[in-house]
Amino acid sequence: MLQTAFNGLISGVIMTLPALAVTLLFGVLKFPNFAVGAMMTVAAYLAFALNAQLGWSLIAATAVVAIGFGVVCILIDQLTFKPLRGRSAITLMVASLGLGFILENLARFAYGNTARSFAIELARPFRFLDVRMNHEQMITFAISTAAMIAMWLLLTRSPVGRAMRAVADNPQLALVRGIDAERIIRWTWFITGMLLAVGGVLIGMDRALEPPMGSNYLVSVFGAAILGGLGSPLGAFAGALLIGVASELSTLVMPPNYRIGIPLAAIALVLVFRPQGLFGQPYIRK
Amino acid sequence: MISFLVLLGIVVCFSAILALALNFQWGLGGMVNFGLAGFYTLGAYTCALLILKGGANTLVATLGAMAIVAAACALTALVTLRVTEEDYFAIVTLGVGEMLRLVALNEDWLTKGALGLSGIPRPLDHLIPHDVYVYFLLGLSLALLLGTLWVLNVLARSPFGRIVRALREDDVVAATLGKNVLWARVRVFAIGGAFIGLAGALHAFYYQYIDPTQFTNIVIAYAFMAVIAGGRGAHAGAIWGAAVVMVLLEGSRFLKDVIPWLDSDRLAAIRIIIIGVGLILLLVFRPQGFLREHRLQVDLVTATMRNR
Repeated sequence: MLQTAFNGLISGVIMTLPALAVTLLFGVLKFPNFAVGAMMTVAAYLAFALNAQLGWSLIAATAVVAIGFGVVCILIDQLTFKPLRGRSAITLMVASLGLGFILENLARFAYGNTARSFAIELARPFRFLDVRMNHEQMITFAISTAAMIAMWLLLTRSPVGRAMRAVADNPQLALVRGIDAERIIRWTWFITGMLLAVGGVLIGMDRALEPPMGSNYLVSVFGAAILGGLGSPLGAFAGALLIGVASELSTLVMPPNYRIGIPLAAIALVLVFRPQGLFGQPYIRK
Repeated sequence: MISFLVLLGIVVCFSAILALALNFQWGLGGMVNFGLAGFYTLGAYTCALLILKGGANTLVATLGAMAIVAAACALTALVTLRVTEEDYFAIVTLGVGEMLRLVALNEDWLTKGALGLSGIPRPLDHLIPHDVYVYFLLGLSLALLLGTLWVLNVLARSPFGRIVRALREDDVVAATLGKNVLWARVRVFAIGGAFIGLAGALHAFYYQYIDPTQFTNIVIAYAFMAVIAGGRGAHAGAIWGAAVVMVLLEGSRFLKDVIPWLDSDRLAAIRIIIIGVGLILLLVFRPQGFLREHRLQVDLVTATMRNR
């Protein structure tokens, strides 16, 4: 049971990065972006190309892909979402769904449907208190925690972070203060792109690389972001951990294939009892 | 070649019914159904199971599929719309759709899981001679398509349809006028669901074998593209959209003969990429689609005469 909880913790930790990406994107762009799963997939495959095919170390590959993918996301936004700025949330959602299909199938086109894995050395897992932990899980934990701390510092201490929070909170007021929304959107995509790239690599390490790898996490990641409160980074972190642990623990009582019911149930409960999530702010719709 | 066209025609028919259903739920009702693939799966499997395990005939199975999917949609709408708004509704329908597909994949005792259900008979196939049967099926599909179009059109132009359109535009105003928002929305979603079930049943009859891989999210992409291309709310548009999308997709099977280095996995991937790109281009450049929703128009002369 402790092992299951630990696996859940790692699963939750993996989800913190995409959950944070979802919540940032929702805060700044005001719609749920269904392409994030496929974005993680593409970034993971790019890292695979550098790592398994060109022989780079995974760390180097991830670092380069993270920055590169941040730029790629800015380009994607310019091509896809910028022409749709100001349109209804549903239009943007459907567009993001289409984008997700395109990205996932680009990966499928390039690498086919067979599962791949990163070229990393095998190492013996070690045991602590009867729980088996392998090296990948430790690295995942370390990287995610570092990323979370970096994001927290960025959002609270840096001008860009403050500007992002300002635009998320009240775009018109931010404009009055001289914050250029488009510039902030570009920064948001760059940061989100990095988060999704690292998240994709972590998923690839935890499971295999295959075209649906990112979209498999979509419902869970959205559940986590909604549970924590869309727009709240702390909420994304907490939500992801809760969903991760709860999903794994649920396999003790339910058939594992229905794990997806947990984030769904979480969304349903949140919507009934506390629509703003755990850490979000209650908002009044005009 | 003729038989290929006939078969293509049948596929266009039930794809068009699916597009019409989505158009009813989304174009008319403003409720995005990202779980379309799951409800479609439910319709096809219900129909197949009613025949194979329940011993029903094809008519009863079809009606059963329609009823079950309508009920499932009604339940989803009832539970969700009470507390939520558009964004969350889309995510919840996505989740429900995924759950339905997981049930189809995993509950082997019921659905035979990944093996699928085979040997689904077609309506009246023991009564009609084998060599003309496909024409009969095409005729039946067309009849059902026209029937669906007629029913949905009548509903859309009825007072119920006007309420639903009003809700779509601004539900607060409609509520202040005393319209029961929740109930109307549940009904719209359920009626759309019934026709999703019909499309699913036809799918089962056409292919005679169903398995979970037939119902991937690409179904959603096709239907959305058809509805957007046709113009949300425009019934005729949804049919045109479905026809164009299906012809493009089925036609692209021939690409394999022309471009030899494409294997079927890659071809499938390209087709989906084309759909995705097409969807985004449509949304950017022609979001209103190519056909317009029917608007009630009163001719100016008549109006002035009446007011005299």
